Amino acid sequence: MKFRCERDVLDRALSVASRAAATRGALLQVLGGIHLQLEGDCLLVTGSDRNLTVRVTCQVGGQEDGEAVLPAKLAADIAHALDSGQVEVTVGDNEASLSSGRSNFSLRTLVPDEFPRFELPAGDEVTLSASGVAAALDQVVGAASGDDSRPILTGVLLAAEEDGLRFVATDSYRLAMRDLPGTSILSRDQTVLVPSRALEVVGRLLGDVDELTICLGEREAVFTVGDVQIVTSLIVGEYPNYRGLIPDDHPNSLIVERDDMLDALRRVRLLATDNTPVRLEMSSDGLQLKAITQDIGQASETVDANYDGEDLTVAFNPTYLIAGLEVCPDEELRLETCDALKPAVIRGVEDSDFLYLLMPVRVS
Amino acid sequence: MRLVIARCTVDYDGRLTAHLPEAVRLLMVKADGCVAIHADGGAYKPLNWMNAPNTLTEADDDGVHTWRVSNPKGETLTITLHEVLSDTAHEMGVDPGLQKDGVEAHLQELLAGDPSFLGEGLSLVRREYPTEIGPVDLLCRDADGHTVAIEIKRRGEIDGVEQLTRYLDFLNRDELLAPVRGLFVAQEIRPQAKVLADDRDIGCVEVDYDELRGIESTTPRLF
Repeated sequence: MKFRCERDVLDRALSVASRAAATRGALLQVLGGIHLQLEGDCLLVTGSDRNLTVRVTCQVGGQEDGEAVLPAKLAADIAHALDSGQVEVTVGDNEASLSSGRSNFSLRTLVPDEFPRFELPAGDEVTLSASGVAAALDQVVGAASGDDSRPILTGVLLAAEEDGLRFVATDSYRLAMRDLPGTSILSRDQTVLVPSRALEVVGRLLGDVDELTICLGEREAVFTVGDVQIVTSLIVGEYPNYRGLIPDDHPNSLIVERDDMLDALRRVRLLATDNTPVRLEMSSDGLQLKAITQDIGQASETVDANYDGEDLTVAFNPTYLIAGLEVCPDEELRLETCDALKPAVIRGVEDSDFLYLLMPVRVS
Repeated sequence: MRLVIARCTVDYDGRLTAHLPEAVRLLMVKADGCVAIHADGGAYKPLNWMNAPNTLTEADDDGVHTWRVSNPKGETLTITLHEVLSDTAHEMGVDPGLQKDGVEAHLQELLAGDPSFLGEGLSLVRREYPTEIGPVDLLCRDADGHTVAIEIKRRGEIDGVEQLTRYLDFLNRDELLAPVRGLFVAQEIRPQAKVLADDRDIGCVEVDYDELRGIESTTPRLF
C-alpha cells in the first residue's frame, strides 16, 4: 500500500478513528490499532474495539492499493507531530513508513486479518439537523455514568415522545434530560440505549456539519457525520424509571442569572475540598453560597436572586451542580426544591426542553 | 533452587545472539530446570533466561568454569564464570500458588453466607468444590434442586468465563450433579465476557461489594 496526502488529512483521520481503538488491556492486540484500506484514491481509516467502530473516509493520492493496521496512538501522535505538508505512507510486509519533509518514521504493523470486519447494520436512515442534536448531546452526555459496573447507566436513553425525541442520561446522582420537539427517529414508545462513549465521538464531530444521519438496527446504531461513520453496539437492559424521579410540584423556586451563580460557585468551591458540598442558603433576601472545609477554612458569597418559598438550605456536590448550570440553555435559570433531601430540578426560565435533576447531599 | 553469585559473561545463541559482558550477577537454577540471570536491580524480569525443559552441563576448560544450558529448540546459553562469590542451594518445596486478593476472597465468603443475593432460592452445597482441574468457588442448588456452579471474580474478564466453562465441563460429567449450570459473578463484568458467557448459557451477576457488606453509601442517590 502506498499513498500521499496532506498532513492535516491524515492527522484528522487518525485522531478521529483512534477514539474507537482499544486502550491497554485489549483482548486482541490488533484492536489497539488503526486499520487503513486504500482503493484507488479512497482511503478508509478505521478504529474499533468491537463495541464501537469509527471509520473515516478520505481522499488521498493513491499509488498502490492495500491494507494495513498501524498502532493507533503512535500513528496518530506521529501524524499530529509532523510539519504541515505532504506525507507519504508506504506499507511493506511487516512495516509501515511515514515520511514528510525531513522526518521519517517506520512502524511495525499489526496483522490486518485479525481486525474486525466493518459491517453496517440494516435499518432505515433518518437525517437530522446537526445543531439540535449537538446541543442535546452537549447537555446530556456528561451526566451518563463512567462506571462500567452499571452498564445501563453508561448509556444515553433515546426515547420517542409524543412531540419529538428525548435524550436522558444519569449516573444515579444527577440526571440530564433534553427534548428535541419535532424530531422523530423512533417508532411510538420505542427507546434505545446508546453508549455515551459513542455519542461523545458523535458530538465532537457535529460542529463541522449541518446534518447527521442515524440508522438504528436491532443491536447496533450507525451515526454518519460528514465523512465519518460511527457504529456502536446498543446497550441492552431496562433503563431506570426516570419519570418517577421528577417531582410533579416544587414549593420552592429560585430564579437566578446563570453566569452570576456559576462565577460565584466556582469561587466558593475553592473551599469545598475533600468531597465537601456547597450549601445554598435560600431566603427572601436571595441566595448565599457557602463552603466549609474543616481545618482548612470557609467561603461564602451572596448572589442576587428571586426566591419564592420557605427559607431553606440545600447542599450539593459542587461538581455536579456546576455541570448542570453549565449546560442550562437560558441566561436565567430556575432552581426548584422540595426540601433539603429531595431531588432538586434545574431548568431554564424560558426553555422548557431541558431539565437537570440533582440529588442533594446530607449535611449536619 | 540453586543460587550462584558470580562474576560472569553470558552468551545466548538461538533466535538471535546476545552477549552480557563480564559483571557480577545472580544465577538462578530452579528445580524445574529454568535458568535465569539477574542483575542487582529491577523487579520485573531477568537479563536473560532459558525456560524448562533444559539441559545444564558444567565444564572446566583451561581453568575457566562454564555452564552450557541447551534446550530442544537448539537454543544455547553459555555462562562463563570467572569468579564464584557464592553458591548455595535450597529445597523450597511445592509452591501454594497465588492467593486470591482480599476483596475476591471476601466476596466469596459473603456470597457463601447468603447465596440468595445471586438468585432467589439458591442454597450453598459447598465452598471451593473440588474438580479435577481445581476448585470451583461455590457449588449451590437452585429452588428446583438443580446444581449451579458459581465462579467469583473482582473484575469479570473473559478468562474467568473460560475458567468456569472448564469447571462446568468436568462437573457435568458427574451424573450426580448434572445438569450443572454456571453463574459468573463479579463486581464488574466486561462486555466481552458477558457476550461469551451468554453464548455459553452462563448467567452473569454483578454484585455491589459495599451492599453485600451492608455499607450504605454516604452520598444519596436518585435511585
